[in-house]
Amino acid sequence: MSSINWTRDAAAHLLRRAGFGGTPAEIDALYAKGLEGAVSSLVDYEAIDVSAYETALAAKNYNTSTNRGLTQWFLDRMAFSPRPLEEKMTYFWNLHWTSGISKVRGVTLMLNQNKTQRQYALAKFDDLVVKISQDPAMLVWLDNWLSQAAKPNENYARELMELFTLGVDSGYTQSDVTAVSRALTGWTLTPRSYTQADNYNGATFQDIAAIHDNGSKTILGQTGNWSGYDAINIILGWADAKGTKSGRYLGAKLWTYFSSTYPSDFLVEQIGAVYDSKGHSVREVVRAIFLSPEFYEAHTRKTWVRSPVEYAVASVRMLEGTTDFGTAVNSLSGMGQVLFNPEDAKGWDWGTSWMNTGTLFARASLSNTLSTNRGNNGTRFDPNKLLAGKDASTADKVVDILADRLNITDVTPNVRAGWIAYMNANDDGSRGNWTNTAANVDKKVRGVVHLMLTSPAFHLA
Amino acid sequence: MPISRRDFLLRTAGFVSVSAMVPRWAVAGAKMFEESVGAEAAGRTLVVLELMGGNDGLNTVIPYTDPVYPQVRSRIGIPQASAIPLDGKLGLNPVMTGIKALWDKNRVALIENVGYPNSSLSHFTSRDIWHTADPALAQRRGWLGRWADAAIGNDDNPLACAAISQSLPRSLLADNVSVPSFVNIASYTYSTDGAYPGDRNNQVNTFLLESSDQYEIENTVSEVTGLGTAAISSSTILQSVSNGYVAGGQYPAGSLGAGLLLIAQIINANVGARILYVTYGGFDNHANEDADHDDLVRTVSDGVKAFFDDLDAHGKAKDVLLMMWSEFGRRVQDNASKGTDHGTAAPHFVVGDAVKPGIYGGPPNLTSLDSNGNLKIENDFRSYYGTILSDWLKADANAILGAWPNLGFINEAF
Repeated sequence: MSSINWTRDAAAHLLRRAGFGGTPAEIDALYAKGLEGAVSSLVDYEAIDVSAYETALAAKNYNTSTNRGLTQWFLDRMAFSPRPLEEKMTYFWNLHWTSGISKVRGVTLMLNQNKTQRQYALAKFDDLVVKISQDPAMLVWLDNWLSQAAKPNENYARELMELFTLGVDSGYTQSDVTAVSRALTGWTLTPRSYTQADNYNGATFQDIAAIHDNGSKTILGQTGNWSGYDAINIILGWADAKGTKSGRYLGAKLWTYFSSTYPSDFLVEQIGAVYDSKGHSVREVVRAIFLSPEFYEAHTRKTWVRSPVEYAVASVRMLEGTTDFGTAVNSLSGMGQVLFNPEDAKGWDWGTSWMNTGTLFARASLSNTLSTNRGNNGTRFDPNKLLAGKDASTADKVVDILADRLNITDVTPNVRAGWIAYMNANDDGSRGNWTNTAANVDKKVRGVVHLMLTSPAFHLA
Repeated sequence: MPISRRDFLLRTAGFVSVSAMVPRWAVAGAKMFEESVGAEAAGRTLVVLELMGGNDGLNTVIPYTDPVYPQVRSRIGIPQASAIPLDGKLGLNPVMTGIKALWDKNRVALIENVGYPNSSLSHFTSRDIWHTADPALAQRRGWLGRWADAAIGNDDNPLACAAISQSLPRSLLADNVSVPSFVNIASYTYSTDGAYPGDRNNQVNTFLLESSDQYEIENTVSEVTGLGTAAISSSTILQSVSNGYVAGGQYPAGSLGAGLLLIAQIINANVGARILYVTYGGFDNHANEDADHDDLVRTVSDGVKAFFDDLDAHGKAKDVLLMMWSEFGRRVQDNASKGTDHGTAAPHFVVGDAVKPGIYGGPPNLTSLDSNGNLKIENDFRSYYGTILSDWLKADANAILGAWPNLGFINEAF
């Protein structure tokens, strides 16, 4: 096993993956902690006081009774919370098993689901599975609230195994799906007249024995009069000679999320073994990932395609910009990710499926607003702040300062030369000579930041 | 009407006004265009309409004389007397008057009981199988992507294939053909600083440079680099397709109507589009299907009718074939929450002047079900695809899909 070469670049990589990227000062601070200290500072985040941030967030008065306000509120947390991994994990669970507002309709239910995902973000996996299986938004989204002993609804039971805990190829059968759906009957909402109640927001979880199927059920080979809790225990405990299937499934997904590579079978088994030996602790699985040499290998770096949400958050965070995320919310649809409203239970595919010509232009539209908004409201950054105290006397020096800030110094000399040429170019395309004047900063520094944010290098984290 | 090279260059040059920006792709695209319009079937367009979520075939095409139907659909069944008869046994959901009007003009083929062996009841596995036409899921590329690589892989036409979709449908994933995806043309352009319009060309040129350069970053994802070039190329053409367009059909409100209208505009712009793909979601009706499903199939039916009315008004219908698919049908027996769970076989429509009208297969047998209570497959989906590949696109279907029986629903001599 190779050892980890802890460098400033490794710290920047860790902060891009465990969070949403950092400023130069944040990267310096993380690097100074050393590997184990850096990982602990991210993973054991309860030690970080968030009260000042929570106060500041509350003062922004995002209207979380609307999907727009809820989205702004979550984006703000991702960009500005002092606990980056808490939000990165909450976002993972949002991608893993979000519900969709188009069907749930109650925005408060979506807000509460997000809070549950944050509260249990690094908890024992079993606890989160129970909480989400009883979560009102999920009960609506995948219909379990309507399921009854007579002719149960299979929707949640299937996705619980296929998408959330085991994987489609893990070996369960249609009869297991039916049996789990029977075990989950009775996990429903009160009031039962959910669709009219309180603008869809008032529903809470209720376990109603009268509509639970009390018959004998066989789930993954075990027969009994199983409840929903029993079904979840059986699913999460289902094991073969290599350990639990849920540990390998969740471990592989977390590995892919953080490292952006598909893990080898050997690595998956190692992660699964952590899950099994640490009582299904998600925290310990995540810690093991960040301490594994493979996570830091060169081929894992700059390969994660930023999702639209990450793109919106990272760009403003790394530029130390200011925003109410109104423009980001407007742009999410075009970028292909309306937060809290995926098209189906699987949520969005990751990776290159985010990128096509249409979503690229939508990213450029958001970037253009961030780069060129010169007003005092909305999404914006201050080019002078980024250059303050630095030698920004020539185009190539400015390009290097900005590329370092955005963690994209690894572009080819040709691209770097292109950015410098852009800064020096006159409107007719002829070569000029950029000098550091207020007018030139306003035009070309904003312009080159826009180009950097829309270059392939910045779509990758 | 084909456009000339000069028109093509004028059309593309309208977007970026400096001569440096009539680059190699525009010249290559024009060359491609003139060569391809003479080739066999090269003027033909295939429109693919994907119904996402698993459309309930039994509430779309009703076995209106089968006494079992009202029993298994006691909660959500369509009243059999209300079905619009297509023949003595099968009838359309009564909201589908648009499809019926096309049927009456001999423009509809209905393929019954389509699916694949050992159906996965997973949306996502099933969708991947349909996209790749490979139940073993060993293919990375989509079935239409494989067609595109073989048929037009060297053409460099930025709009040979396009998806009216937020994401690229895997059916169109190809190695050598870049497929633009968009839902709205007005915003389909590279934004630059409005305060300095004179700097725009510098920005666009630099964007093209940074997008096409090979990055040194190890393992950098190839789908991310190079994308900007394809985006600018297709944007340049698309910016003009809706100019002055007068729709010849009454499109339904919503995303499907807007998408089909956009497809009609692209077809009428004569830019050499071969595959145009549009998705429409909402069909996963596990609950309250009685309230939701009619609106979905009405929108599909009205949308397709409007689309062909529009093509007729522009004299384009003979160049277009539209096919529909959905990842599976639904369970025969409805559930207690007034919905249906995941099923298997389903009927699919093919619309155009080139079809041999009629019903192929069926009616579905509601009593001879598999062990999960689902319909048995009669027509393999690769036969469905293959018939379209070989008889509409004039392609070698065997090379793309393997050997599957031709279902004969396309008039080869058309």
